[in-house]
This record gives sequence, C-alpha cells and structure tokens, in this order.
Amino acid sequence: MADNWSFVFAAYGLAVVVLTAYWRFLVRRERELSEGSQVLREGSGMSEQARHPSP
Amino acid sequence: MRSLLGGVTLAGLVAGLVMGFAIAPREATQGNVQRIMYLHVPSVWVAYLAFAVVLVASIVYLVRRAEAADRLAHASAEVGVLFTGLTIATGSIWGKPTWGTWWTWDARLTTVSILFVMYLGYLLLRGMIEDRERGARFAAVLGIVAAFNIPLVHFSVYWWRTLHQPPSLVKPGPGMPGIIVTALLVNFAAFTLLYAYFVTRRARVLRLEAEAEA
Repeated sequence: MADNWSFVFAAYGLAVVVLTAYWRFLVRRERELSEGSQVLREGSGMSEQARHPSP
Repeated sequence: MRSLLGGVTLAGLVAGLVMGFAIAPREATQGNVQRIMYLHVPSVWVAYLAFAVVLVASIVYLVRRAEAADRLAHASAEVGVLFTGLTIATGSIWGKPTWGTWWTWDARLTTVSILFVMYLGYLLLRGMIEDRERGARFAAVLGIVAAFNIPLVHFSVYWWRTLHQPPSLVKPGPGMPGIIVTALLVNFAAFTLLYAYFVTRRARVLRLEAEAEA
C-alpha cells in the first residue's frame, strides 16, 4: 500500500495547529485575568488608602 | 509546578513523536499512514478520560456543591471536546487512504459524533444560563447523563457490524508488535500529561473569571 505521507502530515499538522491555538488561548486569557485582578487589587488598595489616609 | 508540568508534557510529546516516526517501524499492511494511530488513539483516550473526570466531578459537585469540582468538570469537558474533535478529524484523515472515504455512518463514527455533540451541548448549556449556581447544577446532571455514551462508543465495534477495527491493545489473540505497543504507550502517557496540563490551566482561568465577576 502507498505510504500516503500527505495524510500523515495533514493529521499531525492539524493537531499541532489546534493544540497550539488552545494553549495560546489559555495563556492569553490567564494573563488578561491576572493583570485585571492585579489592577483591581491595586485600585482597592488605593481607595482603602484614600479612606484611611496615613499621617 | 505548572511550568514543570508543561516542561514534562513537552518532553513527553517530543518523545512520542520520536517513537512514532523514528523508532516504530513502517506497518506492513497500511504503510506509513498507520503512524496516524499514535495521534488518533491517544486522542480518543484523552476524550474518554476527560469525560470520566466530568462524570466524577459532576457527582462530587451535586453532593458537596464544591465550586472547585464544578470548575474541574467544566475544564475537563472543554478539553474532552477538543480531543474528541481531534479524534474525529484525524480518524477521517486516516479513513480516506485506508477505507477509501472521509466519512461513513459506521457505528463507532456515529456514536463518537453523538458524544462530541452531547458535550458541545454541555458547554453551550453552561454558557446559556446566567445564574452560575443553576448553570453548574444543570451542567452536572448533563455531565452524568452524557457519560453513559462512553461505553456505547467503546463497545460499538463489538455490538454492531462496523468498518472500524476493534480496540488493538485489548483484543484477544496475537497483538501488535512490542515496539508499536511501546510507541503507542509513550504517546498515551504524553497525551495524558497534556490533558493534565490543559485542565490545570483551564481550571485556573475559570477561577480567575469567577473572581473577576464577583
């Protein structure tokens, strides 16, 4: 039977594209949320400071 | 810890590729196209594993109302859908040169498609219900019901006349050569690590999303 390498590369290529895209989505989303929560923490820290100004 | 898991996963995937392409021999009947097996079979294993985790985590959520269990179920279902889609796509690519067709309404292909659609529905259901607690409860019930399809998929090749071959690793009689089994097992291990890595990251993202909404 012919080796059909093109089908092998198509299958592995598709897997690489799909899995890499999902990994990138997870990394990007996690970074966005981590930065967002950091900003929120800093913001709440600032408002806390505003309510109780240090002498 | 997460970067260690990521590093081990990457090393496992590279080892799997080396085993599948450089160490395992060319299969006598199908030729090199059989190497798709090292991708296709571990993908469906991860799908089974992911949906089994959804089942257990859903039961835990319904009993204890633990949000971590709900996040695990959600993350695992998403990764399971990803790998089920990959299984269907790689199976179709493998089917064309070996069966002469991209798709046929064979028992295994049909049941795995139903599995894919059911868990896609699970993810859509989660997205449709605004009340987080209610959505988690409904999704947990669906996660338990949908799991009954897993044995149907696995045993479909025994229960119906199908074009799809029976499971190669567990069938009685002379099995695959040892080197092919080893290559397959290395890929099983690598894909299991990839599953753990993806689920860990996705569960963390879900936790951060919940915190951001609160």
